[in-house]
Amino acid sequence: MQQHILEIKNLSKSYGETVALANFSLDLGKGEVLGLLGPNGAGKTTLISILSGTLRDFTGSVTFKGQDLFADRGLKNLIGIVPQEMAFYEDLNATENLLFWGGLYAIPEKELKKRARELLALVELGARAREPVKKFSGGMKRRLNVAIGLIHRPELLLLDEPTVGIDVQAKMSILDIIRNVGREGTSVVFTTHQLSEVEQTCARIAIMDRGTILAQGTLAELIRIVGEKEVVEVSGEFSAAAFSAIIQQFDGNGMEVLSVTDNQAHLAFADPERIPAMMQHLFQRHLPIADLKIKSPNLEAVFLKMTGRSLRD
Amino acid sequence: MKKIWHIGRLDLKLMVRDRAFFFWVLLFPLAFILIFGNLYQGSKTDAKASLTVLNQDQGRWGAYFAEKLKAPGIELAIVATAPETYLRMLVIPPDFSLKIERKAAQELQFRKDSQADLKAGAVADTKISQAIVKLLAELIMYGNRDMKAFFAARSPYRDLVQVRTRLPKDTITKIPSGFDHTIPGILVQFVMMMVLIYGGISVMEDRKKRVLARILYSSASPAELFGGKFLGRLLMGLLQSAILVVAGLLFFRLNLGNAWLSALNIVVFAAAMAALSIFVGSVLRNEEMIIGVSVLTANMFAALGGCWWPVEIVPPAFRALGRISPAYWAMDSFHQVIFFAKGLETVWPNLLVLLAFAAVFTALALRYFKISE
Repeated sequence: MQQHILEIKNLSKSYGETVALANFSLDLGKGEVLGLLGPNGAGKTTLISILSGTLRDFTGSVTFKGQDLFADRGLKNLIGIVPQEMAFYEDLNATENLLFWGGLYAIPEKELKKRARELLALVELGARAREPVKKFSGGMKRRLNVAIGLIHRPELLLLDEPTVGIDVQAKMSILDIIRNVGREGTSVVFTTHQLSEVEQTCARIAIMDRGTILAQGTLAELIRIVGEKEVVEVSGEFSAAAFSAIIQQFDGNGMEVLSVTDNQAHLAFADPERIPAMMQHLFQRHLPIADLKIKSPNLEAVFLKMTGRSLRD
Repeated sequence: MKKIWHIGRLDLKLMVRDRAFFFWVLLFPLAFILIFGNLYQGSKTDAKASLTVLNQDQGRWGAYFAEKLKAPGIELAIVATAPETYLRMLVIPPDFSLKIERKAAQELQFRKDSQADLKAGAVADTKISQAIVKLLAELIMYGNRDMKAFFAARSPYRDLVQVRTRLPKDTITKIPSGFDHTIPGILVQFVMMMVLIYGGISVMEDRKKRVLARILYSSASPAELFGGKFLGRLLMGLLQSAILVVAGLLFFRLNLGNAWLSALNIVVFAAAMAALSIFVGSVLRNEEMIIGVSVLTANMFAALGGCWWPVEIVPPAFRALGRISPAYWAMDSFHQVIFFAKGLETVWPNLLVLLAFAAVFTALALRYFKISE
């Protein structure tokens, strides 16, 4: 049995009437890279804030290496957190930033300088190490943000949407860093709402929405949830109610409605032969359809089935 | 403690690194000091204590007396005819010797230019008094002997008496200059302004960018984070003070009175401002608001507190109102220490009031200090 480095049990947190986390439970193995996938407002940032110790008034428990995470402040020295924001000093250069943030941990100065050089090489900022960070591009800043979270060689790294707002090349670079960190034995929890990122990076994926885990497993295990069904995405100028009324009249022979919103619907077909008939059914009822895509079973289909909405919602 | 120092030191480093730092912290206050300092300065200065002796005496006693005025601190000019200009002049009358030989009463005139330096005047006054005492003592010792024999080459009565002058306890020996008021005043004003602006803006920016939250992601406690931010702002205030004190000592002969007590006054005042800046940075949401509030607060406190002019010259109601300003207590403390050479026994209530301000501002800062929006 794999030893769990992090165990979250029945974590609940509300902001007034709004439930951010509802009996959220999750385990993480040593050296495991877990992708936490959820739309905006799913509760990902609340979870990271609780784990970082900056958010209180919650119920449930979090144990790290078998100890209550919040009972011993020293345990925080073993956890690295990369927030969504570029939380560092833009007037300092990259080396100075790493030395400042590393200085908050009990790292001897010589070792800290060596670690800063290693990390700058890892995130490909070695050549720009002495330049003020305010002159960096968005991607470079994101890489520095990740490096700061790693300065004290954490055993657990929590990343909150580390690729927001950067170009594809920079995104790939950060995903590479995360994979490398995982390979070196650091456990990683990585929140995102980008399906492709977790597909490329994580050994295990957890889908969360409305403060709770809906499904978790490897990519293959999750895809099995929707079965070997073709997924049809229908887009157009229609309302959710109109689409639902029309599709109910259709005999799909095992067709499953994954999600319906205004202007878009997702349907899964166990018998792909029924797709042309479904299209004809929609056209005959004059449903204004602009686009129709047929996809193989993938993580998006799983997400749609579990949450009833797409990640863009 | 190490983490508090680590956090505080960085804030100081970021302030010093600001491109406009030397303008705001050195050049701008120096311009104020020059304007106000010269405004309050006397038009003439006479640091060497020059004394002109107009010796009109027909005998030998006038010259003998004038010789006794020679001393290291005096620039003596003995003349036979009155010059057109002088700072201070002692007039030895034509019948000076005659009256001594007759043991008659003497009257010497001492004339001063009203604009002449008071400190140098005090030195001249003392030297004249010493010379008179010496001469009288010699005459008393000489008694009824032949006056003409007094000036014999080996007379045992010549230069017989030494007079040492000692001032009574608590006598103010240093006369304050205009700069002795202006430099502490501008120091207090700029400590307020710089600490509130730099300190307030950096707290606000660190909160908005979640830098404060990220510091707490480490094992640093909220108390260490607050302590670090407080220390950073205290160091900002002390650096601003040190720059102006050094400039004052180097260029304006600043008199600090009891330097330790003046330093204690600066530390306690800077501590109050450090706490206030955290409060300002916690409750205000953008840079423009912080600059506006800080400039307004610092200038209002400076005017009420007597940073620009001594509070003694303002109406009593205005002076009473000034007590709401921490600057008032700091400036009054400086006045007591620098102008009147007072010690801790006099200024402790001021320091206590400043500590009370620091405590209230710290309580407010703690109440409103937020790590994120």
